[in-house]
Amino acid sequence: MIYLDNNATTRVAPEVYAAMQPYLTEHYGNPSSAHSLGRQMKAAVERAREQVAQLIGAADPGEIVFTSCGSESDNWAIGGFLEQNPTRRHIITTRVEHEAVRNLCEHLAQIGCEVSWLEVDENGELNLDALRNALRRDTGIVSVMLANNETGVLFPIEEIGRIIRKQSDAAFHVDGVQAVGKIPIDLKTLDVDLFALSGHKLHAPQGVGALYIRGGVQLPPFIIGGSQERGRRAGTSAVANIVGLGAACELAGNFEGHDELERLRNRLEDEILKGIPNARLNGAADRTKRLPNTSSISFEYVEGENILAHLDSLGIAVSTGSACHSTTKQSSPTLRAMNVPYSAAQGAIRFSLSRYNTAAEIEQTLKVLPEVISKLIEMSPYDEELKALYAAHGSLRRS
Amino acid sequence: MQFSFEQAAGQFLNPKNVGDAAEPSFVGRATSFTCGAALRISLHIDESQRITEAKFKAAGCSILVVSASLLTDEVVGKTTGEAAALGQRPDVLEAIVRGGPENRADCAALVCEALLSAIASYSGSVRDEWNGDEALICTCFGVSETTIAREIQEKQLRTIADVTRECNAGAGCRSCYPLIEDILDDQKRVNGE
Repeated sequence: MIYLDNNATTRVAPEVYAAMQPYLTEHYGNPSSAHSLGRQMKAAVERAREQVAQLIGAADPGEIVFTSCGSESDNWAIGGFLEQNPTRRHIITTRVEHEAVRNLCEHLAQIGCEVSWLEVDENGELNLDALRNALRRDTGIVSVMLANNETGVLFPIEEIGRIIRKQSDAAFHVDGVQAVGKIPIDLKTLDVDLFALSGHKLHAPQGVGALYIRGGVQLPPFIIGGSQERGRRAGTSAVANIVGLGAACELAGNFEGHDELERLRNRLEDEILKGIPNARLNGAADRTKRLPNTSSISFEYVEGENILAHLDSLGIAVSTGSACHSTTKQSSPTLRAMNVPYSAAQGAIRFSLSRYNTAAEIEQTLKVLPEVISKLIEMSPYDEELKALYAAHGSLRRS
Repeated sequence: MQFSFEQAAGQFLNPKNVGDAAEPSFVGRATSFTCGAALRISLHIDESQRITEAKFKAAGCSILVVSASLLTDEVVGKTTGEAAALGQRPDVLEAIVRGGPENRADCAALVCEALLSAIASYSGSVRDEWNGDEALICTCFGVSETTIAREIQEKQLRTIADVTRECNAGAGCRSCYPLIEDILDDQKRVNGE
């Protein structure tokens, strides 16, 4: 299988598995226990905490708290801050957040909070003046993702943090789930109070995440119970998973193939946009404004789910931009927020690469994709529109 | 008629009947404003109101494509009336919906909508040619009272479904159901029932 769906989840790295394996076999014991078995487990958890802190540039490993996933981290950051500060009921977030933030904010709006939704332009970028205008004296928290999961578009969290600090007392939460391990992050130099990450996006197993809580920021515990994680998050630590997350962070920090990975992504993106007339990029054309592993490309007038099924049958895994399989049956809120027309949003495909993709895999994808698209074009009822697109493309190529 | 998911799975990647029916053809379109799916069905129909060719083009999910593939296959050889009766029963495509992802009944319904629209476009053209002076009962398919009464009498029809099957009357908007019912009752009286 050629796996180009790494923004959905990644394979567990062999190094990560090797690091975890002893903690699923010979090493056991509760890290909260005082005996030597427990102390050994505790040491492993603390080492992982250092590895995570190192990757995201936290000033102190104590600022890292392990959770079960990115969604938990997001829920805890926003919900916890509002619980801690009951008089501050105003939230600012964007239209293109992951469901973990978007649906939470919609829920909070229903139970008495006020939410300001920042719009994006057709490139998926924010207008920071809108943020300046939205900030108020009673704003409790601003939640902005670092990298969009569908388009890979990056939000300027450095500047956003500065604006928030200058204009308000609001806390700044960043959903960093899709960015960690893919681009350098140095939280101690940023005005970020809370930062969520998830293990399975960077070759650790599913079921482990972390929340960075800047020193001095108070959050009530997300799970009330024992004194694990210094009383901030009860529940027996999932030691093997935590060790896996730590190992994955160290592996990501030492990864030297970022340029090669980006080169593969660029090759894939360039060739598709050049060779397939009904292909159009979703998100900023300027690649410095996007993750180096992600391309969201719409194939106009054909259906993404069909493309996915055909590619799947040919051994290539991608994902669609439509949420047609969900209960809403509507195209992705991110693409709608970017004003991508229906005819294109419906045919959106996300290609997301990882360190394990090879040049041969990209060439194979480039070989079969045009055939799949041609077949679906034959089937499309938008004959006239496609004819016009292909005629325009033909004349472009000749000139 | 029963469609199965196994049947559907075979046509998932290689649907049948993709394209346009030979001219002159009658075209029906349907679009979903929820998911953005679109399709058109084109029918070639002979002088005895029988569908000789049914083709489709679609930009929609796999369920939609498979439903269109199965339904176009099914209507070939049927009269427009029989096909319309099929189009009014999106539930016959339910097996596909059940086997696939959730909440896809709309996808099958969209295919039926396009089929009915194609048949309506045919019946519209037939009606335009109508120049008789007897009362039209089924305006969708241009079927007169004389024809319906004759069919009932000759073939001993008992129900509206029988009438629709034999002469298309009632296969469209169904607003003539009470009138057909009256004719059926009249015939029963004539027969001394």
